[in-house]
Amino acid sequence: MAETKLVTITIDGKAYQVPAGSNLVDAAKWHADNDIPVFCYHPKMAPVGMCRMCVVELGMVEKDRATGEVIMENGQPKVRWMPKLQTACTQVATDGMVVRTDTDKVKAGRESVIEFLLTSHPLDCPICDKGGECPLQNLTMAHGNGVSRMNFADKLKLDKHVPLGDLIYLDEERCIQCARCIRFQDEIVGDDVLAFHERGRRLQIITKSDPGFDTYFSGNTTDICPVGALTTADFRFGARPWELTDVPSICPHDAAGTNISLSTRLDRDFGGRAMIKRVMPRQNEAVNEIWISDRTRFVHHFTRSDDRLQSPMVRRGERLSPTVWNEAIPALAEVLKAANGDVAVLAGGGASNEDLWELRQLLKGLGSERLGAWTTHSGAELLLEVGVGKGSNLGTLGKGDAILVVASDLEEEVPMWYLRVKQAQDRGAFLAVANHRPTRLAEIASQTERKVASQTERKPLVGKSVLYEAGKAAHWLNDLANSDPELYNTLKDAQNLVIIAGAEGLDWDGGRALMQAAANLLIAGGHVGKPNNGLMATLPEANGMGLQYLGYTTQNALDIIKNPPSVLITAQCDPLGDDPTAGSWMSKVNTLITLTLFPDDTTQRAAFALPVQSFAERDGTFINGERRVQRFYTAQGPMGDALPLWEIIARLRERLGQGRAKVSAAAVMLELSNHLPSFNGIRYKDLAQVERQYPDVGGKDLYYGGTAYQNKGGLGVQLPTTADNGSAPTTGTVNLPEVKQAKKGELLLIPTVRLYNRSHIMRPSALIANRVAKPFAALNNADAKKLGIKHGDRVEVRFNGGQATVTAQVSDSTPQGVVFVPRYLADTPTPMVITSASVVKVSDAVAVQ
Amino acid sequence: MNIIKGFRTTFKHLLEEPVTLQYPEQMRPFEARYKGRHHLRRYENGLEKCIGCALCAAACPADAIWVEAAENTDEERYSPGERYAKTYEINMLRCIFCGYCEDACPTQAIELGHEHQLSFTDRRDAIYTKEMLIDPVPSGGKPTPQKVEAGAFDRAIPDMPDPK
Ligand code: SF4
Ligand code: SF4
Ligand code: SF4
Ligand code: FES
Repeated sequence: MAETKLVTITIDGKAYQVPAGSNLVDAAKWHADNDIPVFCYHPKMAPVGMCRMCVVELGMVEKDRATGEVIMENGQPKVRWMPKLQTACTQVATDGMVVRTDTDKVKAGRESVIEFLLTSHPLDCPICDKGGECPLQNLTMAHGNGVSRMNFADKLKLDKHVPLGDLIYLDEERCIQCARCIRFQDEIVGDDVLAFHERGRRLQIITKSDPGFDTYFSGNTTDICPVGALTTADFRFGARPWELTDVPSICPHDAAGTNISLSTRLDRDFGGRAMIKRVMPRQNEAVNEIWISDRTRFVHHFTRSDDRLQSPMVRRGERLSPTVWNEAIPALAEVLKAANGDVAVLAGGGASNEDLWELRQLLKGLGSERLGAWTTHSGAELLLEVGVGKGSNLGTLGKGDAILVVASDLEEEVPMWYLRVKQAQDRGAFLAVANHRPTRLAEIASQTERKVASQTERKPLVGKSVLYEAGKAAHWLNDLANSDPELYNTLKDAQNLVIIAGAEGLDWDGGRALMQAAANLLIAGGHVGKPNNGLMATLPEANGMGLQYLGYTTQNALDIIKNPPSVLITAQCDPLGDDPTAGSWMSKVNTLITLTLFPDDTTQRAAFALPVQSFAERDGTFINGERRVQRFYTAQGPMGDALPLWEIIARLRERLGQGRAKVSAAAVMLELSNHLPSFNGIRYKDLAQVERQYPDVGGKDLYYGGTAYQNKGGLGVQLPTTADNGSAPTTGTVNLPEVKQAKKGELLLIPTVRLYNRSHIMRPSALIANRVAKPFAALNNADAKKLGIKHGDRVEVRFNGGQATVTAQVSDSTPQGVVFVPRYLADTPTPMVITSASVVKVSDAVAVQ
Repeated sequence: MNIIKGFRTTFKHLLEEPVTLQYPEQMRPFEARYKGRHHLRRYENGLEKCIGCALCAAACPADAIWVEAAENTDEERYSPGERYAKTYEINMLRCIFCGYCEDACPTQAIELGHEHQLSFTDRRDAIYTKEMLIDPVPSGGKPTPQKVEAGAFDRAIPDMPDPK
């Protein structure tokens, strides 16, 4: 905002310099610290002027038409006042604007609006989930009349319990018809699933979709609803807001690194320990603004699921039996000593940097460097060179900029990026989406106009969606200059270019090639080493980037698979559950040690299964897909004997004579950042730095931005890429792998990602169970016909290492020769990378399951 | 002279009836507004008046009250509102019997009664649970949870005779 012209406006007698064209409510708050009360206006959405709460007296300094001089009267500039009160939210700051917010006329106006809103508002505050953090309550206290002139018995009686889908409930009596929820879905998410029904007094919110409120962002409407009309099924009556403790944390599910606040409270049913009652957004304008996805909000029950592994287990004969740390640690030390350095680690993206550092040091002490990253993605090392530049913020991409999303179903993989990419297009950025199948984001990209500015205006958009042949993402991108020069040049010549790469339909070689092709395009256009330019990848879980920074690579993982070590440690990953072929190489491992949250398939075969704490019970750091190191804090009471992963390894190292165990995660980070130059010597206190963010949301005035929390836990520190540090990256050769072919008579099986699935982390969240798809395989019409399969039939998909029985979904949107099998849906492990598979009909569709 | 005045007072009292009561065998009658230990009240039909709003806990200066709420359904209804107290506990060692909870309660569910003979040999016994605090079901009423007709209770907070 620094470049825009400043104008002078006068608010309550004092002059302020504010950017020309800024919204009057925003400007008054930011520059004059004057909170104009609002209900329908929201700083993230276009004003609609529906509630009239923001009325002010408005005037203009009069100027002489001939000379342009300000006309003076009694030594003061003469002001031409508007005859009636004006809504501040629909005004933009212009030079010479004069505003009064403290006159009797304004006070009377506000009081009347409150009185109108309360004509039929129920007296639910004592049990209303919003009570205590309710804009209507607060503004009534501040501006309302102390007594009601209305007859209580005359109030409208409406339905107080309307489920809008499984996740959100509507109380029709409490709604004040501000349309914030509708506008959020429509303007911000682009899932136009809510609407007003009827008119006047009968006006009500309804959902138009089936299933109801079908979007991945529904929870945000409960934050911005200025009353308790919308409440989440998850938190409903969970606690009163003033009883909650707010603990800053980071969403553990994906690479966005969404900043959250865990609202905790002691709980009887949880043994009197502190328990997460709700997950709320925490403002970080560079990461997630003030939004979170429904997965972030509703998938936290796994942290206290009884299914979690709660004591260390050691194999005695056929069975794993519980033991105590004091016995497990020495036994582990013996095993590791005996391995003579033939040890390796496979780590998943759920492990924090501190965990990964301790594991790395453990291996170093044992004389091994075999650190494998257990992930579907490869080529992540390029992110350290040409990743998005330091200071990038997807929220500032707009006209003249371009974004390419390739080989990813972004809505299912990283919903927060989906939201931000969609909004960048709204602001005028060119959005290109390329994949081998149609996705929701591709649909968004090819829309030529959308409702963005207001209820009536539609804004023209630029974008393109491309379909390439299955498995050929890298080929497509590498050849783009020839095959589609227009698109190539649009991307290359854009002012700023961000590429988001996924790994759908690619094996590790293909993924690496795609990343290199993307890097080459970025380098060719000079889109490296500067803000808002560079590469991002949808690395699974929260710390995929941390794996890379700590030296855990897919190459090493592939090497581990090829030459299995004598002792293998798996850290928060489940190779046997993820990959049906893992059994064959895993059998060559003598001793399997698993550090895990849940007793999973890998645990079944492990000699030692060690319970680790989830992100909620401990502190640590994750690095998000934009390389921002972010800190999460201890929120919930511990489960059983589980320990933080780093602590288990630190104790083990002490036992092995590798030095005294560290006592805190902060101490681990200190050592880590002292040793790894890429961490720039950051400390926990650097990660906890905060500053005032625009718009100023989450203060005492909950009516302005909603119940998103102010950031008190830290904005994190973005690590620079090598390009940021000045070394010019050079283009590399793209080693195009041979495209996987289906065997004769078989189809090419491509694993896909679903936001809601049946992984160990998802299952304990009963609330989303209805949103999890039944296990299915998606086939093309022609293929299905050939195989004699009809839509809805039960089929068996057979692949190397196993099979899965699922329901066939036959449609034209699946390309020919391909079968899509979503990961973590079927009862048995399904492939994690592209492979050949046969599909056989088992039985006809059953009418009712 | 003064000494005679003094003795006169002494003799006068010798003849008066003593005020000492043989507590606990004998007890003085209570003022109606005496604040003893709490009771959770029921409606005549047996439903609980408490709607689990935790305003009593918020008002309590000694932080003696612990409320955890849950949602009523027509199959399992505890209170006529949307919400009821799943857990309701008062720590009598903390309570200072100020009666603020009574003032805060929107449904007059909690009332301080006359029982004052509270003694414990274990700190834990001082925590009165909902079962200990709640009134017995009045005659003609049904115990909670009750199974009720669907839609019979559609208010978030039961309508009260005098909402002021
Ligand atoms: S929405 Fe606000 S004012 Fe209305 S009942 Fe709930 S807390 Fe009270
Ligand atoms: S439900 Fe809430 S956000 Fe939606 S219109 Fe009503 S008051 Fe506004
Ligand atoms: S006793 Fe009254 S104030 Fe306390 S939780 Fe129950 S209804 Fe609310
Ligand atoms: S009319 Fe301005 S905030 Fe509603």
